[in-house]
Amino acid sequence: MDMGRPRAFDTDQVIGAAAALFAARGYEGTSVDDLVTATGIHRGSLYKVFGSKRSLHLAALRNHLDREIHPAAAAVAALTDPEQALTAAIASYDNGPAAGLLLLAAAERAPHDPEVAALVAEGITALEDALGPAYGDAAPRLASTVLGARLRLRALPTAPEGALTWP
Amino acid sequence: MALISIDRERNLLTAEIQGLDKLWALKSRLEIPLAHVRGATHDPGIAREPKGIRVGGTHLPGVITAGRFRRHGERLFWDVKNPDKAVVIELADAETYDRLVVEVDDPRATVALIEQSIARR
Repeated sequence: MDMGRPRAFDTDQVIGAAAALFAARGYEGTSVDDLVTATGIHRGSLYKVFGSKRSLHLAALRNHLDREIHPAAAAVAALTDPEQALTAAIASYDNGPAAGLLLLAAAERAPHDPEVAALVAEGITALEDALGPAYGDAAPRLASTVLGARLRLRALPTAPEGALTWP
Repeated sequence: MALISIDRERNLLTAEIQGLDKLWALKSRLEIPLAHVRGATHDPGIAREPKGIRVGGTHLPGVITAGRFRRHGERLFWDVKNPDKAVVIELADAETYDRLVVEVDDPRATVALIEQSIARR
């Protein structure tokens, strides 16, 4: 893989920085120049490690699912009170340092990229399953409500979760 | 300018260097097994970076970068006049080049073609 030179960066940190950038600017709106600047690693290393911007985006989405979406879903799944479960889901779903990455990927990339579509589906299924204990058969409908609420939160110019913080 | 196509029968990515670029790059055609293609990215900014050492070919800054270059221990093949249309094709270690940087007519379509071809594998 490498040519005897040790990697002078943390791959997880690079993926995290890229995820935050993709979440703030979208996939098309993020150039390789932006990624090089935000991650602080050489362009050559970026290509060597990830292969392409698309692969880096897929890694960012995978990371966001594992670090944010699934833990948030697990916390919601522990709530059986409908009101509490809904409030917690709206507050925590698709949140974190790359808040909105899933929503954006769903709107921008999933229709053209089956691998993105599969990851988005995984995230939405996790939300539906998490709302199961509180809502039973109505969980899918409530999941749509949560997604809609997250979209409306993102549309606010003063979104509190830091999604609009410019890197 | 290069014409990128996928030969699905032989599982190859081919890059045909067009016109006089063949002379500047000292190369007319590259064939890469699809299994050795790691990805493709539209990357206009790469042309602003130092090209490294020219091993074979032509480098007239701001006009054309074509041929074999070596930078940070990596071997790159360039064929770019217009950076706006530069596509980076990352290759596996087994290949002669680590990376191809080629100008194509429609970067978006070329990236989609390559990424779809390797995703389905």
